[in-house]
Amino acid sequence: MCASCGYPAAPGHWTDAGVADPGERLRARFRRARVLNAVLRAYGLTAHDGGLIPGVQIATLSGAQAIVDDLAGVWVAAERLAGMPVDPLDARFLGAGGEAP
Amino acid sequence: MAASRDGRMRMTVLGGYLGSGKTTWLRHQLYHGQFKDAFVIVNEAAETPVDDAVLRVAQKLAVLAGGCVCCQARSELVSLLRGVCDARSGLDSSGERLQRIVLETSGLADPGPIVEAVRGDSVLVHHIVVSEIIVAVDALNALQQLRSEPLGRAQVEVADRLVVTKIDAAQVAALTRLLATLRRLNPGAMISGTARGSAGGLPAYDDADPEPLPEPPAEAGRSPIFATRLVLDPTIDWTAFSVWLSALLHARGDDVLRVKGVVRTPAGRLLLQGVRKTVQSPEILPEQKERVDNVMVVIGRGYSAEDLRRSLQYFATAGRT
Repeated sequence: MCASCGYPAAPGHWTDAGVADPGERLRARFRRARVLNAVLRAYGLTAHDGGLIPGVQIATLSGAQAIVDDLAGVWVAAERLAGMPVDPLDARFLGAGGEAP
Repeated sequence: MAASRDGRMRMTVLGGYLGSGKTTWLRHQLYHGQFKDAFVIVNEAAETPVDDAVLRVAQKLAVLAGGCVCCQARSELVSLLRGVCDARSGLDSSGERLQRIVLETSGLADPGPIVEAVRGDSVLVHHIVVSEIIVAVDALNALQQLRSEPLGRAQVEVADRLVVTKIDAAQVAALTRLLATLRRLNPGAMISGTARGSAGGLPAYDDADPEPLPEPPAEAGRSPIFATRLVLDPTIDWTAFSVWLSALLHARGDDVLRVKGVVRTPAGRLLLQGVRKTVQSPEILPEQKERVDNVMVVIGRGYSAEDLRRSLQYFATAGRT
């Protein structure tokens, strides 16, 4: 927006905009890793965020890994490591929810 | 801004494809005193309006949500405009009479039928003259839209004035190619550039080659574009939602044409806006108690609304155990 007619924009990647408090931000990172793990398990991948250094680590069960800055990077890396598209509208995600098959 | 000599109100139609920057441009114009005292009508294809939250600077604002005014909601537009005309006619000559209407169409509207509806109505034709059709053109996505969407091309072709938005984010070569393409599609239109609402200079494009546009694909064989309303209930926290939406836009960014809504988060009320795979940094909106938040509008094709809801629900409960 122009400096005067818009409202202030949240800094950083848009997916980080929903949490402002530093403590909440750390909790959100851990929660994000849990959600990612539940989703990526179906593709034989794991997600790890230790909270100490920036970034999320995506790894295959055989040990190949990538560290990415944000969620946009997560999906690019996940597709590359899995060797197939990761689609949230895939039938495996249209069930009752919570547990990957 | 003066009324036309015959006393009829002037109407500006502001069109442009989904996410092309119509509201951002209009907000900037209103803030800087353009269209002063105009009656602003905002049309949104989805049932849940979002744009009115950022157009509060307009003094007189009406929202037509839940249908596009060039087709299924055309009668609602005509009826609203007749109401505006009636109210104006009721004032005596000493009163301050409304001189201008600005209609911001939905991104799915073809301005042509709207102008026809005004001209063809036996009442409106005596009160309103469409003075200008302004069409916002997204510098980042327009070439792709012009190639694949007949509607995008129709919008450009009917414009009197083309406002190329997001010029600060576009590569110069792509921008000059787009400008040359626009010039070929609509040689008569005035072309200007903006970045985040503010006017900006355009590069010279006399030597640029226009994009060779194929015949537009027939709409008949394609699934229709539709709007889905997603209610983010309290079980859906920001983290799960952002994981889900980022995955959706990554995988389906060519089908999900537009995402917008206001989401209430611990960091404030966030205005979330996406065009295909790009989501801009959310604006933090001030409190507006009367508004219903936590509703996202997703406009696109090639998926079902129910699948969106089930997938979002899956992500919301994933990782909780």
